[in-house]
Amino acid sequence: MTTFEEIYNRYAPQIFRVCLGYTNDADQAKDLVQETFISVWKNLPGFRNQSQISTWIFRIATNRCLRALEVAKRMPVAELPFDLVETREESQEEKLNFLYQCIAELEETDRIIISLELEGLPQAEIAAIVGLNSGNVRVKIHRIKEKLSQKFKAHGQFR
Amino acid sequence: MDNLDDLKAIWHTAKTDNLPSSKEMIKLVKGFRGQKLRKKWLVIILSLALSCLIIIALFIGQFKLVTTFIGGGLMAASALLLAATNVRSLKRFYRLDDCSNLEFLAFIEQTRQNQIYYYKKTMVMILLLCSIGWGLYLYEPVRQHTLWLIATYTGAAIYLAIMWFIVRPRTFKRNAEKLNVITRRLESISKQLK
Repeated sequence: MTTFEEIYNRYAPQIFRVCLGYTNDADQAKDLVQETFISVWKNLPGFRNQSQISTWIFRIATNRCLRALEVAKRMPVAELPFDLVETREESQEEKLNFLYQCIAELEETDRIIISLELEGLPQAEIAAIVGLNSGNVRVKIHRIKEKLSQKFKAHGQFR
Repeated sequence: MDNLDDLKAIWHTAKTDNLPSSKEMIKLVKGFRGQKLRKKWLVIILSLALSCLIIIALFIGQFKLVTTFIGGGLMAASALLLAATNVRSLKRFYRLDDCSNLEFLAFIEQTRQNQIYYYKKTMVMILLLCSIGWGLYLYEPVRQHTLWLIATYTGAAIYLAIMWFIVRPRTFKRNAEKLNVITRRLESISKQLK
């Protein structure tokens, strides 16, 4: 049996990035990580391995994200302009912030799906977390990538 | 997309080193107590205790009128109904430890329906049973003293009127606004998964 400490060390950074992708707010993402691991702590003794432990933890985290009502208020109301072409070299931090901004413009479930995809989870696992079939997830990921790609190209990030 | 690796590389540059260490997190989670579920447990325990107390009082007390027994029985029944509603709700929450986003949204929707049902039906039933029970139960102890009788029933009537006409509608209105916000968001999120 894996201990809580091992689980935390392994998954906390991943959960944090996914929550940050969803909320676009580091403090709120940290709160969601904490809420997730409170739930993991409480339910770990009863975890019956019906699903992989990673699926279980990501399900808890993404459900917490969906429940966080106040997240919606912090999302940008206007879309980022497509014609904004930046030619100067941006720092990693600026690129990351731009990625978060682009993700923040997506719908809630798309934010979750792309965050899990960028985290490197297999598409079958993403499907189990979200509750869709693999085919649907594949299509959704393709569409989201297209959207992000367009925004990054317009922003002068991709060649 | 050719540039997914670029996005992944950017994604992984997020700093995670300011997260609490595992030891700090263990300290944090040990100190945490589920407020909402604790409240439900408290309601269950208190209402069961109250129900037992009323029944014991009926047996120990030297009551003669049937109205007292009916009143006590109705109050005990209302306390039991409150306990049963909370037990049902707790069971649903404990079953919610491993579900997908889609199942979770269905759970939230069901919770919303249950809350509406509670305010419109169960709460009315509990208050009704309790009010009638209280009215009947109080009659025997105060019936021989007119002043006590009037004072007790006036006090009880005022208290129940405040609960029925002020507290309950206000609570319902406050919760209804919260539920409406949740409903709108749920509808929008559920559409995304279709």
